[in-house]
Amino acid sequence: MSAARGDRRSRSVAERIRDVRIVQAAARHVVDRRAELVPRLVASTGLSREGVELALTHHVELDATDADLAQLVAGAGDSPRVTVVLSANVFVGALRAIALARAAAVDVIVKPSRRDPAFALALIEAAAAAGDAHLHVVEELDIAAVDEGEIHVYGHDATVAEIQRKARPDVRVRGHGSGMGVAWVAAGDERAFATAARDLAADVVAFDQRGCLSPRVALVEGDQARAEAFAATVHEALEHLGAVVPRGPLPPDVAAEAARYADTMTYACRAFVGTQHVVGIAPAGAPLALPPPYRHLHVASAGSRASASALLAPLAKGIVAVGSDDLAGARTLAPAWARVSRLGAMQRPPLDGPVDLREV
Amino acid sequence: MDHLAQSSILHGRARALVAAFEAGLAAPESFDTLACDIARFQAAHIEGFARLCAARGVAPAALTRADQIPAVPTDAFKVTSVFAFDEGAAQATFRTSGTSQGEGARGTHALRDVATYEAASVAFGRRWLARDLTKPVPVVVLGPSPAALPDSSLVHMCEAFVRAFGTPAKPEATYLVDADGVLDLSAFDERVATALARREPMLVLGTSFAFVHFVDAIGKDSFALPPNSRVMQTGGYKGKTREVPPAVLRSDLARLFDVEPRAIVAEYGMTELSSQFYERTLFDASAAQGTYAEPPWARVVPVDPETLAPVAHGEIGIARIVDLMNIDSAVAVLTQDSVRRIDGGFELLGRKLGAPPRGCSIAMDELLGR
Repeated sequence: MSAARGDRRSRSVAERIRDVRIVQAAARHVVDRRAELVPRLVASTGLSREGVELALTHHVELDATDADLAQLVAGAGDSPRVTVVLSANVFVGALRAIALARAAAVDVIVKPSRRDPAFALALIEAAAAAGDAHLHVVEELDIAAVDEGEIHVYGHDATVAEIQRKARPDVRVRGHGSGMGVAWVAAGDERAFATAARDLAADVVAFDQRGCLSPRVALVEGDQARAEAFAATVHEALEHLGAVVPRGPLPPDVAAEAARYADTMTYACRAFVGTQHVVGIAPAGAPLALPPPYRHLHVASAGSRASASALLAPLAKGIVAVGSDDLAGARTLAPAWARVSRLGAMQRPPLDGPVDLREV
Repeated sequence: MDHLAQSSILHGRARALVAAFEAGLAAPESFDTLACDIARFQAAHIEGFARLCAARGVAPAALTRADQIPAVPTDAFKVTSVFAFDEGAAQATFRTSGTSQGEGARGTHALRDVATYEAASVAFGRRWLARDLTKPVPVVVLGPSPAALPDSSLVHMCEAFVRAFGTPAKPEATYLVDADGVLDLSAFDERVATALARREPMLVLGTSFAFVHFVDAIGKDSFALPPNSRVMQTGGYKGKTREVPPAVLRSDLARLFDVEPRAIVAEYGMTELSSQFYERTLFDASAAQGTYAEPPWARVVPVDPETLAPVAHGEIGIARIVDLMNIDSAVAVLTQDSVRRIDGGFELLGRKLGAPPRGCSIAMDELLGR
């Protein structure tokens, strides 16, 4: 590799946190001076302008506590060099990926996503301006030529597998693949019900539901009528939010999948087809269907947490986030590697480590 | 008239279509007439289909053409009952093969009157596999027996072929894959030896993955079948073995069984349908491999996956199939298979897979692959 080698002495925890803070401050700088960046992000991400603004102003982790960063550093390990491959992620995910790499190593090489490089490049540029001289960008990367340290790859399973195949045996590959979120709406009063629907809609709208934490399925504790009422409330909330934060253009493949999903759920039970979203309701007890991303939500009833757990079991390998108005209940449903958060905060995880603890 | 009687009348009309085909007579009624009557019956007795019609702004009473009938996505068979009757009324219930989504996520297709399914399957199977046979021949199935796999539509069809085209034989000499998936090569050897001695052509039926296992087991050796034998191969691999390109498998089987490549006939069917489609290669020297013929009771139309409008001749679309034998379930089915109309039938291009979604949200195919 051509990047210059940095100071290889082992850093203390405090020094690592300091280095991560520089990256985080760079992110704040990028967000504060985003006027030029936003049009580029609109073009590269496929989000609407409002969607990009929402992501930058609500979903970049700018307020990490020392405890969060201490946890991030503790889990990052120690490596002479980390090479970061950002092949597919929501664009703000570059901050977490680079922060993790920075916590683990002095030398960090970043290969931004080819089709969505703007935020990562701006972040690295801002970090360099703030005094971080050891973040290097490469446009092309020969995986087989990475001769030390770790490779952190963020992408779909096929990409992770490809990099694992190409990497040298003495280079550790940490793969963070794709995933999905699930919402658990516990029994509660009418006000809590409405709040849960509104918060879940906000989680769906962020990044047009293309993040690995984005909720795609909501399980509603109670009978079928309660699930249908919840679906109707989420539908209204999504309609309202869609007017404020329009969805980006739908790719043809997704549009076809969405049409198919709407027809399937119409046949099976009911589908609320909104201007920019679909909320499908599963027949009671039916196996869960997975709608496409881009604001499509599958709602099902579950009589109890046990039945919810049984319904989720076939999808468990893909679940990396569970959002709920009942955190204790959600923890019993979540796989060990999944984040658990309150609804409305599923897309704002603290900067305390990878988005999930699962490595592909 | 109750809906059981309505169903029975529709079955009678469908079987009359098949009988006319077998007798070489003109169809007793038009495809569109029967398709629309079946759709009206389904809209009256299947709530989901009535909802789908309403959502599409289709009034069943006003239907005049089959292409106006809303197609039911195959996914619906996985999440709800696609059946005009209670489950107890089914004579047979077929299930799609399992996926990592679990047993419960298998699609289910119930048949109230299995005789219609069998009549159509045998008639069109005879047309493209056995029309030249003047007497029963040894039929061997490289698959499990109906007793071992009672919910497989493919196994049921093979059983119907064994009855219709086959010489009498014990089940263990007919269905050569046991419950553990082990192929009984010695039984196959014995059937072939007997057929050779009697100079009887054979009909060998099997799935692609069973044939790949067979090829792998035999290696470079051959297993010559009697002259004029033919092989029907169907289905994908579903992760059960290595995948082999169709042309390579055809070539391997032709060599293995010492038959002409045109005697390897591919069949296309699915659990959600009651009709099947065949390559015409065995009886039509000009027929292209990979081009499938449809029976006069089924239509395969490539449609745009988003608008569901038919695409131009020669363009690729998703297969929308109207199957007049699907009387009590879904007369129009929207598959996930890409097809293209070409002269002489349609070309099957395989399952449509979208590009991975932008972002890190998981795709269904990715989840199933884990």
